[in-house]
Amino acid sequence: MRNGILISLLLCFAGMAGCSSMGVEPWERDVLAKEEMQLTTDPLEAATDDHIYFSKEASSGGRGFGGGGCGCN
Amino acid sequence: MKNGDKPSISAALAAATCTLLGTTAAQPVNAQEEPGWDFNTSLLYYGEADDRIQDLSFKTLSTRTFVDDRYLALGLTVDALTGATPNGALPQSFAQTFTKPSGRNTFTTPPGELPIDDSFRDTRVAISADWQQPIGRLFAMNVGVSGSKEFDYLHLGLNAKLSRDFNNRNTTVSAGVAFASDELDPVGGTPDPLTPMRVVRDDDDGEGGRSTEDKEVLDIVFGFTQVLSRNFLVQVNYSYSESTGYLNDPYKVVSVVDGVTGDAVPVVHPPGVEGSSHLNLYEHRPDSRTKHSLYTQGKYYMGGKVLDASYRYMTDDWEIDSHTLDLHLRLPIGDTKYLEPHLRFYTQTAADFYRISLVDGAPLPEYASADYRLADFDAITAGLKFGWKTGGGNDMSLRLEYYRQSGNISSSDLIGNQNDRDVYPDMDAIILQYSYHFGL
Repeated sequence: MRNGILISLLLCFAGMAGCSSMGVEPWERDVLAKEEMQLTTDPLEAATDDHIYFSKEASSGGRGFGGGGCGCN
Repeated sequence: MKNGDKPSISAALAAATCTLLGTTAAQPVNAQEEPGWDFNTSLLYYGEADDRIQDLSFKTLSTRTFVDDRYLALGLTVDALTGATPNGALPQSFAQTFTKPSGRNTFTTPPGELPIDDSFRDTRVAISADWQQPIGRLFAMNVGVSGSKEFDYLHLGLNAKLSRDFNNRNTTVSAGVAFASDELDPVGGTPDPLTPMRVVRDDDDGEGGRSTEDKEVLDIVFGFTQVLSRNFLVQVNYSYSESTGYLNDPYKVVSVVDGVTGDAVPVVHPPGVEGSSHLNLYEHRPDSRTKHSLYTQGKYYMGGKVLDASYRYMTDDWEIDSHTLDLHLRLPIGDTKYLEPHLRFYTQTAADFYRISLVDGAPLPEYASADYRLADFDAITAGLKFGWKTGGGNDMSLRLEYYRQSGNISSSDLIGNQNDRDVYPDMDAIILQYSYHFGL
């Protein structure tokens, strides 16, 4: 399992090298600047969901830190 | 006057460029804006069926933006929690009595029903503060603190993150670390793991000789964000999380059952002593847990519609593996409204010490827990959000979601009569959230 994660990470970094040719010019960022194109469009909704699923499932985090800080039932 | 000419020329050029491109251009213009406050507020109702947990939650996130992209974010959450939660014991064909966590009295579960402890009532207050600022032209840093308090739980946390832009700001690489130091103060005191549920202590002051337990959590996250095209953006995060200390749930037990019938083993108390009618042992989990997760998210713009898709794989040394697929599709309605359907699929395998029950007379395992959250189960969320702009230009939204958890209990893990009962009833919940976003 750890090998799988290591391979995924290596692929990410290999991908990074290839990313230097990707992307847009500064004047092509009109769509990316839109509110609905931000990675987190609604921070409170994201925090709410992270907290609910942290309390009810055995996984947490991913988008950011693992969360926590509750003795959830 | 020559010096004074320069800014006005560059401002005129910027304005002309924006006009030509027809954009509400990004960073440089924002940096010139007057500092101001921005408020995200929400009211949430989370309710589980069958009188289980109900949460009424108020959340607010206030951000103040300063010049040069520096900003401060202050968060406040107040949760009012009531309802009942499964205590880990199995449903039986007869009534079962359990001692309440306080150790002051008992409750009885009718035949055929999942034992749930209804003494749950709590208020949780959580606060956070984050500061973000650029360092030089390409780096940005973020530092934060968090704290929360419940009746039996205190959390204190620190976090920091550093990111750097590459390739004309088309690539961002980040690294973050968070540390939490939590303290549990269980009602009725910390039970000894794998010992029988305590009896009622009528000489008790209700505090039950409370003792505190500690838990530390270290999180490390490496992130990578890439703009692939004018309409397409992806993010990949790897997270490492290490928890150490007291990781038990002090209120959960495991039923001890007959090895042939699968029925709970009765307990006979001495005269005058009141307590659990059947043998239940307090759960015991390892005192450390290491999790790895890989998260990837893509945002794709399709002529006004936006698809937001994410997938997370998690694995840990409790042998829990999970997969989460999350899909949002934002559909604009005119210029000021949108509809956003949401679907989420989740599946996890059981922890290696998850036990439906323990067999009477068999050697005790080192660790055992019947917590439904450590079982093998699937979950689905389906929801719809409606958002609109108010006359004053602020944002409001309302979302309604339905969440269902269904256990996958293998018949090989069931003993005798357990096959005839629903040992893992589905859990259904609704999420209703109203949000209001405004600036001052």
